[in-house]
Amino acid sequence: MRHVTIALAVARKDLLSEWRSRELVPALAQFLVLALVIANFGFSINSDNAQAIVPGVLWLALVFAALVGFGRAFAAEKEQATLEAMLLTSAAPAAIFAGKAIAATLLLVLCEAVLLPALALFFGTPLTFVLAAAVLLATIGMAALGCLFAAMVAQLRAREVLLPLLTLPLWIPFIVAGGQAVQVMMGAEGTFDQALRLLIAFDILFVVLTSLAARFVLDE
Amino acid sequence: MSAILAAGITHWFGSEPALEGVDLVVERGEHVAVLGENGAGKTTLLRILATALEPSAGGLEIFGLNAHREKRRLRTRIGYLPHQTGVYPALTAAENLKFFCDLRGVDKARVAEMLDFTSLTHVAHRRAGELSRGMQQRLAIARAIIHDPLLLILDEPDASLDAGAHELLERVMGKRTVVFATHDQALATRLGQRTVQLRRGHVMGTGSRLHVVR
Amino acid sequence: MTRYLLAAAGAVALMLIAAVVIFFFTPTDALQGPVQRIFYVHVSSAIAAFASFLVVAIGGAIYLWRESMVADRLARSAALTGVVLTTVTLVMGMMWAKPIWGAFWTWDARLTSTLVLWIIYAGYLLVRRLAVPGRQAARFAAVVGIFGFVDVPIVYFSVTWWRTQHPGPVIATDALPPEMLFTFLFTMACTLVLAGVMIAVRYRIEALQDAQPQGHFVLQAAGRPTT
Repeated sequence: MRHVTIALAVARKDLLSEWRSRELVPALAQFLVLALVIANFGFSINSDNAQAIVPGVLWLALVFAALVGFGRAFAAEKEQATLEAMLLTSAAPAAIFAGKAIAATLLLVLCEAVLLPALALFFGTPLTFVLAAAVLLATIGMAALGCLFAAMVAQLRAREVLLPLLTLPLWIPFIVAGGQAVQVMMGAEGTFDQALRLLIAFDILFVVLTSLAARFVLDE
Repeated sequence: MSAILAAGITHWFGSEPALEGVDLVVERGEHVAVLGENGAGKTTLLRILATALEPSAGGLEIFGLNAHREKRRLRTRIGYLPHQTGVYPALTAAENLKFFCDLRGVDKARVAEMLDFTSLTHVAHRRAGELSRGMQQRLAIARAIIHDPLLLILDEPDASLDAGAHELLERVMGKRTVVFATHDQALATRLGQRTVQLRRGHVMGTGSRLHVVR
Repeated sequence: MTRYLLAAAGAVALMLIAAVVIFFFTPTDALQGPVQRIFYVHVSSAIAAFASFLVVAIGGAIYLWRESMVADRLARSAALTGVVLTTVTLVMGMMWAKPIWGAFWTWDARLTSTLVLWIIYAGYLLVRRLAVPGRQAARFAAVVGIFGFVDVPIVYFSVTWWRTQHPGPVIATDALPPEMLFTFLFTMACTLVLAGVMIAVRYRIEALQDAQPQGHFVLQAAGRPTT
C-alpha cells in the first residue's frame, strides 16, 4: 500500500513539474510532426506506397521520441541532484521507478495523441481503435524497458549515446508486433489479434522484470 | 552505544583514493565538524555516513546497525543535506516538502512546521526555482529534517546562508547526533564539540575522543 | 602463468587439428561444394557464443543475488569471449550466405537475433567501461546481461512469427552423414575448449586488475573498530 502511495506521489510530482514548465511534451510533439514531414520528403510518400511506408515511419518517429522522453525523465533528476534525495528516503526503489515510469508513459501518450491524428491528416492513415491499442500496448513495455535503462545511464558518463544502444535492441519485439498490427490495419495480410496478444504478453513480462531489476539499478 | 562506528573506511574513485583507512567514532548527541581543503575527502566521507555511497572497503555501523545490510532501515533515522540542494525547481517550496512527506510516510502537518522552522512560510507557495540560493538551502535543510532524524549529516550547511544562519543551524542540530563538513573554522568551533581534520583522504587528527591515523 | 600459456597453446593446437579434419578428412558437400565447410566453425562458434552468454546471464544473476565477485568476473570474461565468438559466427555466416543465398545478409530470425545478441553484449562491455568500477559496474552489467539473455529468444520468436528463411537444424533431424557429423562434433568440442580457455585467461586478467586498488571493493562485515 505504501508502495502505491509512493509511486503515485512520484508520478504526480513529475506530471505537475511538466505541466508547470512544459519543457518536454510540446518539444516532443513538434519533433514527431517534423519527423513526418522529413519522412514525406525522404520517402516521397504517395497514396500508392503509403501503406508500405507509413507504419515504419510511425514506429521510427515514436521510438526516437520515446528515447528522448525516457532519457529526460531520469537525466533531469540526476542533474538536479534529486535522484539521490529520493533514494535516501528509504522509499522502495521499485516504487520510485514505477512512479517515474508511469509519468513518462503518460507524457509519451500525450505525444502520441498528436502523432496519430497527424498521421491521419498527412498520410490518410485510418484512425482506429486497433491502431491506438497497438501503439499504447507497445508504449507500456517500451516505457518499462526505456525507463530502466534511462535510470541506469543517468548515473553513467556518455548517457545520451548509451541509452539508444542499450534500449533499441530490447525494443525490437515491441516494434515487430506493433508494426505487424499497424500494417495489417493498413491493409496487409494477417490478423492483428495475435499481434495485440503478443504485445500484452511482452508487456507483462517486461513490466515484471523491470520492477524486479529496479532496485539493482537505482540503489547504490 | 556510539552513534557511528567507522573502521578503516576506504574509498577509491577509479584509481584515485578519496579516503584511506578512516576510523571515526561519534557518540550519541555529539556534534562533529569535519574540516579540510577542497578534495580532502569530506563529501565522500559524509556521503558514506549518509548511506548514499558504499565504501570500497571498511566497516560502518550506525546506531548498532550494519550500514550495508540495514541501509533502508537506517535511512529512516538519517537526515542528509547534500552539497547540491536538490530541490524541484518547478514545484513550490511547500510542494517540495509535501513530496518528501509522501516518500517518507510522514504526516503532512510537518510541512507547515518545517517551513516555519526555517522561516520560509512567506515563500511557501513560490516555485523553488525562483527562490534565492540561500532560501533553497533552507528548503534543503527543512527536507533533511522533515522526518525528525536522529543522525544528521550536513555537507557545508552554511553555504550561501546569511547572518541568521548560525542560529538556525544551532536549532537544527539541537540534541541530534551531527556530522557536518565546513570550511569555516569559526563555525566548526562554535557548532562542533570536536573537529576532525581530513587531508588527502586521511584523518590528520585533533579533537579529544579521536580514533585515528596511520 | 605457464599453466595459462599451456592451456592457450593446447586450445590453438586443437583448433588447428579441427581445421585439418575439416579440410582433409571430410567429404565435400554435393550440393553446396567446399563452401559448406564453413558450417562446422560457424555453428560451433555460435553454440560456444550462446554458452558464453549463458554464463554471463547466470553469473550476473548470482552476482545480484550474492554479490559474489567470482560470479561477476566470470560474467565479464564470458561476455568478452561471447562477443568475439559472435563476431566470428556472423562473419563466417555472411561468407557462407553470399554464394549460397546470393546475399551477405537477410533479415530472418536467426540472423536478426544473433545480430541483436552481438549489439546487446557489445553494450554490456560499454556499460562496464562507463560505469564506476566496482559495485555499480557489476550491477548495471548484470542487469544488461540478464535482460539481453531474456530478450534474444523473444526477438527470435517475434521474427519467426513474422517471417524466416534460415536453414533449419540439420543435427537433430539426422540429415548429416556420419563423417560430417563427426567433424562437426569434433570442431564443436574444440571450439568449446577454446572458449573455456579464453574465459579462463580473461578471468585471470580481470582478477589481477581487481587486485589493484581501483577495482577492489570488499566490504567487510562491519565489526567493531579495534582501536
